[in-house]
Amino acid sequence: MKDQKQKMKLNLKHKMKRNLLIATSAVSIATTAAVSAEVSDATVSVKAMADALHLVMDSDRSVYTKKIVNRLVKKDKVIKASEHFEDDKALALPAQMFRFGSELAAKRAEKMDDVNFSYTLQSLWPINKQNAPKTEAEKTGLKYVAENKGKNYYTTEKLGGINYFTAIYADTGVAPVCVSCHNAHPDTPKKDFKIGDVMGGVVIRIPVEG
Amino acid sequence: MKYGYRRIVKAVFSAAVVTTAALDSQALAEKADYLQSGNKSLQQGRILWLENCEGCHGYGIADAPVPMQPDDWKHRVIKEREVLYLHAIEGFIGEDYSMMPARGGNEALSDDQVKAAVDYMLFLANFYIERQVN
Repeated sequence: MKDQKQKMKLNLKHKMKRNLLIATSAVSIATTAAVSAEVSDATVSVKAMADALHLVMDSDRSVYTKKIVNRLVKKDKVIKASEHFEDDKALALPAQMFRFGSELAAKRAEKMDDVNFSYTLQSLWPINKQNAPKTEAEKTGLKYVAENKGKNYYTTEKLGGINYFTAIYADTGVAPVCVSCHNAHPDTPKKDFKIGDVMGGVVIRIPVEG
Repeated sequence: MKYGYRRIVKAVFSAAVVTTAALDSQALAEKADYLQSGNKSLQQGRILWLENCEGCHGYGIADAPVPMQPDDWKHRVIKEREVLYLHAIEGFIGEDYSMMPARGGNEALSDDQVKAAVDYMLFLANFYIERQVN
């Protein structure tokens, strides 16, 4: 296990030496291709990259929420959305879709030398304890975005000898089902969410040199 | 900033850019954007709006129209007020499938309380529309 961690760390350092990151949409993640020197020398700030990644994630989730869930569940009333969507033969909740995307991206990124980033949906009040913040930056950032509506949190942190740029964006409860499910869930540490409350945050982490 | 498709770029690290210090949170009730009114009904509506509506309408979350942004409200303030009341009380699915939850998701609100919050939001929206015109 230790050897594996060491190997992963070395692999990551090797990736970082190349000093290349893909500023990407969900589409462009899927394919790598040879690029000209001119293109590979282009630069973008890591903050702009994180903001762009979040914009794509948030837009995709919003489209799923509106054009799939709201349309079929709320307007046409032809299917339900459920946390237990497989058992219930229902649509996955928007937050679950987001998390599935996060997990798939992490798996795909492992096989791509030039793609070094991760994103997760976390909360200071998680139903699943695995989604609680672990690093100080995550704890501070999630608290900050909950207390400062409309603002994002940016910082750096060093984890396992690697420097990371970490960006945290508020995740707000926008539908009655988000709020009621969290408030009523037996494992929830918070039972008084209301619509419009920040219920958690999206944590984007990008390794950087420095 | 525009990104080219499949564009590979160098991530530039700048310590000066990346740290945002925690800011003092400002009490919502004192927020300058949310105008006060001498009218008692609007005062009550303001309290209800801050408690039940501001969380989304204050920031445009889930496409909620922001009353401080005239373009969000110009085509809404000309609707009959009863229509706006109805949408707020019963909920509403927009043309693009955005969703306004019934009573802002607070079932405990009475019809009159929802109407008071709507009145305050219209008061705010009209103020910012008039300010833009003038």
